Amino acid sequence: MSENHLNVQRNLWENPWGYVESFFIGFGLIVTGFFLEVFVTTSNTFTLSYPYNVVFLAGYVSILFVLYKWFSTTQLIRWLTKVPASISSISLVTMMVMIMGIIPQVTSQNNIINNLGLNHITSNWAFLLIIFQFLTCLGLISIKRILQFKWSNFGFILNHTGLFLALIAGILGTGDLQRLSINVYEGKPSWIATDANRNEVELPFAFFLKDFLIDEYNPKLALVDNNTGSISHNNGKNLYLVEKGETYYFNNFEVKIEDFLPNAIRFGMRYEVVNEIGSPPAAKISVKNIETDTIQTGWISSGSFRYPYESFKISEDYSVVMTIPEVKKFSSDIDILTKDGERISAILEVNKPFSYKGWKIYQLSYDDKMGKWSNLSVLELVKDPWLPLIYIGIFMMIAGAFYMFWMGNKTTKNQLK
Amino acid sequence: MTWMDFPLYSSIIVILWIIGLLFLLISYTKEFVSKVAYTLFVAGWAVMIVFVIKLWLELGRPPMRTLGETRLWYATFLPLIGFVTYIRWKYKWFLAYSIGMAGMFLAINYMNPETYSKTLMPALQSPWFIPHVLVYLFSYAVLAASSIVAIKGLYDNFKENFNIETLKLADNLVYIGFAFLTLGLLFGALWAKEAWGHYWTWDPKEVWAFLTWMGYLIYIHYRHFHMHNTKQALTILALAFVVLLVCWFGVNYLPVANTSVHTYTQY
Repeated sequence: MSENHLNVQRNLWENPWGYVESFFIGFGLIVTGFFLEVFVTTSNTFTLSYPYNVVFLAGYVSILFVLYKWFSTTQLIRWLTKVPASISSISLVTMMVMIMGIIPQVTSQNNIINNLGLNHITSNWAFLLIIFQFLTCLGLISIKRILQFKWSNFGFILNHTGLFLALIAGILGTGDLQRLSINVYEGKPSWIATDANRNEVELPFAFFLKDFLIDEYNPKLALVDNNTGSISHNNGKNLYLVEKGETYYFNNFEVKIEDFLPNAIRFGMRYEVVNEIGSPPAAKISVKNIETDTIQTGWISSGSFRYPYESFKISEDYSVVMTIPEVKKFSSDIDILTKDGERISAILEVNKPFSYKGWKIYQLSYDDKMGKWSNLSVLELVKDPWLPLIYIGIFMMIAGAFYMFWMGNKTTKNQLK
Repeated sequence: MTWMDFPLYSSIIVILWIIGLLFLLISYTKEFVSKVAYTLFVAGWAVMIVFVIKLWLELGRPPMRTLGETRLWYATFLPLIGFVTYIRWKYKWFLAYSIGMAGMFLAINYMNPETYSKTLMPALQSPWFIPHVLVYLFSYAVLAASSIVAIKGLYDNFKENFNIETLKLADNLVYIGFAFLTLGLLFGALWAKEAWGHYWTWDPKEVWAFLTWMGYLIYIHYRHFHMHNTKQALTILALAFVVLLVCWFGVNYLPVANTSVHTYTQY
């Protein structure tokens, strides 16, 4: 095992390559990548789609296999299957991802960021090259341990091969990943979706929205500073839900909710329940000033796209307001209409997508200005043919994590004894 | 109404657990009382299970919808994971930690009996929510403990009375914590596929969670092959925890924060 203090005696690039050479190669790849970013100015990103990505994967794995099987004595392959290469590539991938974690991945005002492509790390040549080295190390050692199978290597194989599969399938799969969104209106069939670049895509089936439903929480009660207009209670967090009969305390005010109407409109001095589009919630409150022992009564309403909000001024400094209700749940009751005249019913909800012919259909959003009166539902369609391979990788890693939890660091412990 | 009974049940559980924790503390010097502690923990946990089952039957649906119900699940599963870890690795402080956290969640529920904080945005209403958060809760606790060990190691190193046992303890904690960290990350990916249509979107929180994972990965690989470079290993461990802290609290203050789906604090 090559330890650091031994490395001092040997020259650079002398057999076997250690950390200095490994980081040298790694940085070399990154610098090359940045050169490509600066001088190769194509606007389209590097992605492979079917069938090229399948060919690439098959070729890549076969080459790794051949390299391990017949060339494992060469300098390069020995280096790639040793720890310095692993640690340097893990560190350098970490470095590149850290850039992504600090610099927002959007068009920047800064020319250095734009030219080096630091605002699109995932498609940056420097990142792609270093992740390629990372994957090559990972692939080679996976092959090595699989070929020299021992039960004590089981966890190792699960973790390393799982990560290799999940990463390579994730990277190569981007070319085949389709994400479309479609606007569906109540009572109308729709079949024209749009992709990420706003191109129209005609679907082989249509959606018919029978009903779009929103469940809301009750609105919340807040104390507002009349001078600044900002919420001056609990830093705007954990506000109280408006419920009939509840009493809440703000500073030296006791606020009692006398009545709560989920849909109401003002008629003269009071609010009345109505069944009308855009009718906001309203509440009758009585506010007792504990210091002066005076009681005031009034109405508050959160307002809607059709009606103004109403606050209740309780002193020179403070008013009580009602916030716009938060959404609890939204769902679309849809029919999928095929060209053969078939009709498939489904209810879409957040976290409950529906699978149909290789597509996963998600409830994405709605017209948030209209809120619960929205008759538009935005759906997302995702097709990712590489998903099974990614899931195999993920589940191998999950199994590997359980193995790791149970076994701990057995190797280190045994060797230290 | 089962939530009405909650103060009664939770008081019984918390009292059993507090007495159990006292016995656990005594068992550091007098080993034979540790059995008493375990009995009390298990008894408290049994009461908990009875409550959860009664609540479930009463509601006629899995109690997983509101924040209060979510905290109830935390309080149910924390002792379970704590016990499994304890049976395997014999860290008493870890058992105490999991019981303490579970008790804390019960106390929060007791003090806020469903009156506020019960709004939960639709994307968070998922069966993945609890496992995802729970394993992270554990992972961070164990990894935090490993960095305390690292700091002790660095201090001992400075005083020149370093003991290799310290590093072996750190190693074990990192392995356990890293296993939970991997699970948290992957459960998050599986959930994201169901909720947002893609398992990985390089959201800032995801980026930093990935970096944390990579940080501990460097430590594990370094330790595995350079068992005698203790000081470097301890430094890597301390740095990995800094990345973890950025992921946990720091992301909200970075320039990338406003593009994240994980920043619930600002609205």
